[in-house]
Amino acid sequence: MNREQGVVSRRDVLALSGLATGALAFRGGQSSTPIIAAPTHPVAVAKVAGYDQDLVAQFTLMLDQLGGIGQRVRGKTVGMKLNLTGASGKGRRVGISAGQTTWVHPNVVGALTAVLGKLGAKRIRLLESAFRKDGGLLEDAMLQDGWDVEAIRNAAPAVEFEDTNGLGLAKKYSILSVKSRPYIYPAFALNHSYEDCDFFVSVAKMKNHEEMGITLSMKNLFGITPELAYGLLDPVPAGASKWTRERVFHYGEVKPPAGIPQEIDFKSNRYEGWRMPRLLTDICGARPIDLAVIDGIETIIGGESTGIPGSKPAKPGLLVVGLNCVCTDAVAMATMGYNPRAGRNEPPFRVYKNPHSHPPAQLIPPEESHQYADNIVLMGEAAGIGTADLAKIEVRGVPIKEAVYDFESRWKGQAPV
Amino acid sequence: MDRWVPARWDGGPVEVTLRARRGQPAGDTQEALSRWYDPSTLSLLEGTPVNCLLVTFSADVDPEIEKRQHELVQNYARLARERDVAVLGIVHPGRDPMAIAAAADEARLDGLVLEARFADGARFAEKLRAALQARNNAAPVILIEQDPARPRRSAAILPIIEGVRPSARDLADMGIRAGPSAEPWIESNIWLVRSFRLGSDWRPVWISQESNPGSPGDYPRCVADASIAGGHWVISLDDRLRTGLFRKEPDALETWRGVVSYLKFAESHHEWRSFQPYGNVAIILDAGGGNSEFAHEYLNLIARRQIPYRILLRSSLDRAPLAGFRAVLAADISLPTEAERTILRTFAEEGGLVIAGPRWGNAPTDTDYVSVTAGKGRFVIYKDEPPDPETVARDMLDLLESEVTGLSVFNVPSILTYASTSDDGKRLLVQMLNYATTPFKSKITVRLKGAFKNARMHTPDNAPVDLNTRRMPNDWTEFSVPMLAVWGAVILE
Repeated sequence: MNREQGVVSRRDVLALSGLATGALAFRGGQSSTPIIAAPTHPVAVAKVAGYDQDLVAQFTLMLDQLGGIGQRVRGKTVGMKLNLTGASGKGRRVGISAGQTTWVHPNVVGALTAVLGKLGAKRIRLLESAFRKDGGLLEDAMLQDGWDVEAIRNAAPAVEFEDTNGLGLAKKYSILSVKSRPYIYPAFALNHSYEDCDFFVSVAKMKNHEEMGITLSMKNLFGITPELAYGLLDPVPAGASKWTRERVFHYGEVKPPAGIPQEIDFKSNRYEGWRMPRLLTDICGARPIDLAVIDGIETIIGGESTGIPGSKPAKPGLLVVGLNCVCTDAVAMATMGYNPRAGRNEPPFRVYKNPHSHPPAQLIPPEESHQYADNIVLMGEAAGIGTADLAKIEVRGVPIKEAVYDFESRWKGQAPV
Repeated sequence: MDRWVPARWDGGPVEVTLRARRGQPAGDTQEALSRWYDPSTLSLLEGTPVNCLLVTFSADVDPEIEKRQHELVQNYARLARERDVAVLGIVHPGRDPMAIAAAADEARLDGLVLEARFADGARFAEKLRAALQARNNAAPVILIEQDPARPRRSAAILPIIEGVRPSARDLADMGIRAGPSAEPWIESNIWLVRSFRLGSDWRPVWISQESNPGSPGDYPRCVADASIAGGHWVISLDDRLRTGLFRKEPDALETWRGVVSYLKFAESHHEWRSFQPYGNVAIILDAGGGNSEFAHEYLNLIARRQIPYRILLRSSLDRAPLAGFRAVLAADISLPTEAERTILRTFAEEGGLVIAGPRWGNAPTDTDYVSVTAGKGRFVIYKDEPPDPETVARDMLDLLESEVTGLSVFNVPSILTYASTSDDGKRLLVQMLNYATTPFKSKITVRLKGAFKNARMHTPDNAPVDLNTRRMPNDWTEFSVPMLAVWGAVILE
């Protein structure tokens, strides 16, 4: 790493070494911005046998374990960003629904909606970026996995759906500034619903990720960036997708279109394993998560989508819920059998990306011996969003030791799924 | 011939000899094969729609063995005829056509079927036909074709095509890295059967496959896969099932009953074969073109994307009105004539979408395709000649609004749909086939352009049920199917 890349600080160094502490007691090397102590908040863990369990009662219990959220949602607009990876809904294993592998399960969404409705939410808006055209209905994406959309619509008094891959119902994008110290972007152009909500929920799936190692509540927020805002290439370079979001964010090859917030330093590191954890932390700083819900009842091991060779369906039987996304993801990582303070040399951040679907520069960086992603929860910790130090996080419900479902051994075939 | 429901009924000493050369079979299987033309096996046909057996007849084996085979088949065919069951002799390469014709004539076979492995099957079939005709025998000689283009071109009276085993597989399990939206890989013959549906009249098409080594549950899927668009699967027993049936084992008989129930379902709804394919998208097929592999892949992969289409023969383009279509895929026309250009240009200018290869003109050099406005409509011109079928099929999902396709189906990852309409256009039939080996226990939603009041679902497994229809904005009707075991057919009125 080099300082000339502009946004690398001493806290990065600590974070990457796995040594960062919850409250970083020193000042950043190149910044005079006071370091913010990373806060902590309890995280609730539950073992749940299946999606046919009483999830309303389960979420009610877990939210109570967290001290309750009634005061924060009563009379408010709640936005719920759902993890519907590859939101066409068509990517899945033969004979298994997307909700059992790559998507959050509709019963989780329905139960959460019902609980938030019971708590007095004025409006609950279900959000995900689904279609690469204006006017698409998020409900149609849900139908692609056989969801009972009407049941979810009726689970609370005012339930709305919005495809946030474009303007949606608004006439312009909302510009949300990064409230934590930004790494790469100072602000993002987002669908209005992410600004309009008073209380924001990230409903994520507990999964591995080809490029990021893991995808939990923080990573889930990548889907709030609208593809229709971040542009289409014209003309399209030979062999490239006409959609630029990946090239804007992952690789930093092209700048966002004019009128969209630009990078702080376009000369910073272009390696996606370096960029994406920071960028996602920025997104979490722009649209802070008020409630992180991680569906690990059933999932997929070995990647974020069913098309990744070696990926396999699994049933960890876990729900993890917290009010701080970094703390929640750290605990979720621990339940997956990973060290939440792992560095880029360790699982799950030592990654293998398919060489056919990634530019050569995105494979092994010159200064490394393998592909990597930096640890997103340590990035979040270093940005002051929350602590990733298990010693500082109170786990309520099922202790981690009793909850662990070792993803790595199952991925490698050493343990049965 | 139109009413024949075929089953491949290999057996006898010739079959045993052929199998022995391949190092199989042994024990019980060998016994079942060698004694398969015992009259008792005809009892399996009682109460079934099967009325045409394809029996082993000739191959490159010892003449004594062949003679014994002919004697067995002659007797078996006589008993079959008493049950109104037609018998066709399967001919493997290696024997003289005159001798085969003489034996077939003597056995009073209803026809001969040449295995697809014949090096020059078409010529051998001609010789066999001539030999039969020399004996005043007009029995058909049919070659199992590996390339469907040839029988389509020749308008064969009974095309038998070598198809694929219907299945759905995960790309990841095939070692293919796929994107998050990638669907399972489905092997299907629906497109193949419907590719023979080029006129308004139904004609039989048979789909042949090697003996099925899959699970017993695969058999009903094979029947449905060929039947949905009006074809027949030439039932082919794997050795385990054949042996079990020969020994009257309960599991085997249960599997056979499953096959029969699907055949009965198909036959009890034979009127569906007269329904016309539904679709606002025309795919032009150049039956005489030299690019049949690509042409077939358009038909196959676009069907897999659940885009309903109708096939137009290139030769009829100047006569067939394009009115009623909203889009035309003309990628199989590699070099359009002036007349074709005029027809397609007029279609686009009046509001249609024409998708064509680069020889149309103005092809891009650095993108897959370019969209060019033409009057009220547009052309989409691809860079590559011929355009890559997978790319075209994928792009068509983006290029065609649901208003154009008229049909949207949701939650069908391992399922293919086929829509057709009655002659008067008042009834629409949406058939669905689950290619997974397990029942699909998740809600399927179907949305159709138009107003339909009633929807009734028929399956081979249960009594018909009425489905609720929902009127949707912009003149759409929606209905949901709560679960699909294998084959479902919904009639809307």
